[in-house]
Amino acid sequence: MQAQTPSDSPACETVELQIRRQHGPTSRPYWQTFACPVRPGANVVSLLMDLREHCVTQDGTRVDPVAFEHNCMEEVCGACAMLINGSPRPACSALIAELEAPIRLEPLPKFPVVRDLMVDRAALFAHLKQVKAWIKLDGPWDVHERAPRVSPKEWQANYLYSRCMSCGCCMAACPQFGPQFGPEATFVGPAPLAQVRLMNAHPTGRYDKAERLHAIMADGGLSDCGNAQNCVRVCPKAIPLTTAIGELGRETTLQAFKDLFGPH
Amino acid sequence: MSSSIENSHFLLRRLHSLLGLVPIGAFLVFHLWENSQSRFGAAHYNDEVVGALQGLNYLLVFELFLIALPLLFHAGYGLVILRHGRAEPRRYGYLRNRLYWLQRLSGVGLILFLLLHVGLTRIAGLFDPAISADLFGHMQRALMQPPVFGLYLVGLLLAVFHLANGLATAAIVWGLTTSAEAQRRFGWVCAGFGLLLAAMGVHGLLGFLIAPGAGGGA
Amino acid sequence: MSGGQQGGQVIVIGGGLGGLWATLAIAAAGHRVTLFSLFEVMRSHSACAQGGINAVLDTKGQHDSVRQHIVDTIKGGSYLANQPPIQSMCEDAPGLIRTFERMGVTFSRTPEGLLDLRLFGGVKNKRTCFAGASTGQQLLYGVDQQVRRLETEGQVAKQEWWEFLSIVRDADGVCRGIVALDLRSLEVRAFRADAVVLATGGLGQIYAPKTTCSTNSTGAAASRVYQQGARFANAEFFQFHPTAMLGEDKTRLMTEAARGEGGRVWVPKDPADRREPTRIPEAERFYFLEEWYPSYGNTVPRDIASRAIWKVTRELGLGIGGGDRVYLDLTHLERGFVSTRLGAILSIYRKFAGQDPLTTPMEIFPAAHYAMGGLWVDYEKDPATGGMRRGSPRNHATSIPGLYACGECDYAYHGANRLGANSLLSASYSGRVAGEAVASYLSGLERGAEAAPAAVFDAEQGRQAEINQRLMRSDGDQNPFRLHRELGELMTTKVGVIRDNAGLDEAIAELQALEQRFERLDLAESSAWANQSLAHARQVLDMVRLAQVMAVSARARDECRGAHFKPAFDIKMPEDSFPGEPAFEAYRERWKANNAEWLKTTVADHGPDGPRIHFEPVDLGLLAPEQPRDYR
Repeated sequence: MQAQTPSDSPACETVELQIRRQHGPTSRPYWQTFACPVRPGANVVSLLMDLREHCVTQDGTRVDPVAFEHNCMEEVCGACAMLINGSPRPACSALIAELEAPIRLEPLPKFPVVRDLMVDRAALFAHLKQVKAWIKLDGPWDVHERAPRVSPKEWQANYLYSRCMSCGCCMAACPQFGPQFGPEATFVGPAPLAQVRLMNAHPTGRYDKAERLHAIMADGGLSDCGNAQNCVRVCPKAIPLTTAIGELGRETTLQAFKDLFGPH
Repeated sequence: MSSSIENSHFLLRRLHSLLGLVPIGAFLVFHLWENSQSRFGAAHYNDEVVGALQGLNYLLVFELFLIALPLLFHAGYGLVILRHGRAEPRRYGYLRNRLYWLQRLSGVGLILFLLLHVGLTRIAGLFDPAISADLFGHMQRALMQPPVFGLYLVGLLLAVFHLANGLATAAIVWGLTTSAEAQRRFGWVCAGFGLLLAAMGVHGLLGFLIAPGAGGGA
Repeated sequence: MSGGQQGGQVIVIGGGLGGLWATLAIAAAGHRVTLFSLFEVMRSHSACAQGGINAVLDTKGQHDSVRQHIVDTIKGGSYLANQPPIQSMCEDAPGLIRTFERMGVTFSRTPEGLLDLRLFGGVKNKRTCFAGASTGQQLLYGVDQQVRRLETEGQVAKQEWWEFLSIVRDADGVCRGIVALDLRSLEVRAFRADAVVLATGGLGQIYAPKTTCSTNSTGAAASRVYQQGARFANAEFFQFHPTAMLGEDKTRLMTEAARGEGGRVWVPKDPADRREPTRIPEAERFYFLEEWYPSYGNTVPRDIASRAIWKVTRELGLGIGGGDRVYLDLTHLERGFVSTRLGAILSIYRKFAGQDPLTTPMEIFPAAHYAMGGLWVDYEKDPATGGMRRGSPRNHATSIPGLYACGECDYAYHGANRLGANSLLSASYSGRVAGEAVASYLSGLERGAEAAPAAVFDAEQGRQAEINQRLMRSDGDQNPFRLHRELGELMTTKVGVIRDNAGLDEAIAELQALEQRFERLDLAESSAWANQSLAHARQVLDMVRLAQVMAVSARARDECRGAHFKPAFDIKMPEDSFPGEPAFEAYRERWKANNAEWLKTTVADHGPDGPRIHFEPVDLGLLAPEQPRDYR
């Protein structure tokens, strides 16, 4: 092993890639197998990029290039999340050398497939609206006054949540989230809940705390969480989603008391 | 501004969680403690335990409002909740996810067990006074049969697990434990509580078989 | 809309910092915005900026001043940027930061709970606000959340997964809308708008894969409006980051701090040396930065480091294994120190290379990072302040009436090279200014887009649909993804870190040949649903055309300035001579004479035979070029 150069060796090995494909949202999925040359440092995105140029299956049939989403390739944009060997994760940081072969690629579950590995994560963004994941600004102009101070300790906790890139991995792994339960009963999911935690911590975001809490106390809200805690295990940015859920549990408990006994 | 009250969703979910602990969970602890007295024998059990209970003022009201109705709601609403999730214990083999799955599995199992258990004891007792007169004997005869004993053992463990794990998740739901560390720590506390409770319960089951006067008809 | 105060309909293309800021400013003025994005808004390249955003807050006891920020920006850009926009940007920066803070951006804090500032390359004062190691992401999310709120209020509508194809101009040449492609259904549709803002970002993909840019930073949109008559300025100025980790899909930026904290750059003396780097003895290593620049060593500025690495690999053939790579070595440093100071890049390298920089030297190479050049945009100078006149409809207007540009796709703020941590600032600031300018433009508009005849929309829509149909029927042998790779190789080699006129002439000819190969395209798929090859083929063709602008602009500029380096025209600063001494003063005269000839903006117009270049004077009203840049 040590005699081997880590770099510069030309493409020599190949890896078997099994991809679950689907022409369109309503078509039947099917599997195709590809033998992809692997260069050092290759990741799932780089293999899929190579496939676009030369999309031939293992048995030599030329097929349509595999549709997939990717953008930053640095694990900050959240576009390329998919199911890799059964786990939801961003494809750009999935190094081939660290994956068990054959590598199985499937679209991110729970979201409707657009084509092949592309999914439509509109539900996630709709849920961000549902929980009002924003600070209410009077306007985007300068008010010549800065926002109130935030202690470094508080910042440290908040920063973790602000790194959520809406990749959807937590939702894909959540047993309570999914279209199969009907649109009226859809659980908002861990990522939007964590944003409620973040917005409620902001010095002026607190003004709308009750409104956000009420949003997650409604159907599909916080209480639909089943505490399976897959979310926190699959989150590529190690966001403490279950801590947020616990904190929101406490906040909603207090809110319910206020709602019941005042002050409103 | 009181939408959490106007929207019943939150209240129903929290009620479900609360009832699982109090009174149902509390009753389970009491019930297992009571039955652990089986080891003192038929006379003590029938007179001091069952007899004392039967002599309680407003017993039926207690039974109805502190046990039967909360249990019915908890079970019924639990079945509703069940429809809104799909466990994947094999894909995500994490402990908490397995517990999530077991919680639902145990819930369904418990419903079946309780139908049997309550039917064999409390309901049957309504029709056959001999059963409530000598509950010890009735239970002893039943538990002497290995399949029934096995069934009771499973039912007991399901109930204890469902309570202990429910306690751990309720702590998250109500916001008692928030950090991962606190959740893990309290998880162990609940596990310890569950083990003690299970031990007491098993002791109670065995008590019917090994208590003085066991094997005879008292 | 017909020239009223409110209720106009504006199209903003691009959901990065620039586009979202423009959206906010336009919506704040009471107009409706339709926001077009290639993907779900919030996934733009702005998210990738790690370092920070400059604003003079002067909270570190260093007596920092806005004037100093302005001077640093002007000098960093080698005086090539017009100074009024720079002045206004630097003046408005603190207010912009305050607004971001109100939006909830999680800026890193001091023990007192104030915004912390860090030191960034090229300046003396701590002036850079940051949010952990993901500042761009945090700023982007701040504005994204505000736009999402406007969306629920009905003031903003998003068209996600739509690609901009062209603008629609009426008989007077005024921009009245756009034609876009639905990336799923492949529907080509015209949209009317009273004004259009282009905020489509950079063009690093022209150098792919040796670029730190995201896949969608193609420059295709800017190229399209350029081909429709918008001017493109300073295309030859492209910043290369010296230390990017290698990757098959892209190269990832390793911050300069790695060198600043003691990292050493080296290659094995024998390029055929195949040993593990840690097994190569000191005597057989070539620490070329330390040898060539003894006083600076490994901490030479970005452009010098890039050129040195280029020389070692491409000219001396000493890259590791003979390839495009050199070592950036941290293994000699104390581990605890590296972990605390460089934690972010350690984790990036571990994650994407699967190796630990604490035990194995990192492999790096310069990568295309940021386009200083872009669509030419106007500004109106306020004689009273020397800055831009606030709210002027001329600010950020392209040469096409009704079409505005902001963010990395314009050319306005960075001159010949960009100061570190000024990119997030210019993206945000220009977005806001463009938005305000659009609002002014709309209030002066006599007739809105609804007055434009349907025929112009139908014609443009038909033309674009026809291009798609032709591409879908293509049955040649040229794969668009392969053409993209060849474009990247060609541009990296010949219009890259170091340029020479012979190479540029070759590049221009080769780019023309590359363009011609699109006649023989093989799309490799004919699916009528979410056909990514179709969109990509169109992008690559427009990238090739933009690359021509870059090559022709580079060919036209016979000097060294900022990121544009032609060794044949280099005026070297005498090494041991200082201001006042004859050798230095002689150098100063040559430098000034060079400025007199070349200190001017390159402007490209699209013509039937390729780009036509002319030059424009630069507004130097604030700071005249008297002092050459001297980092000694």
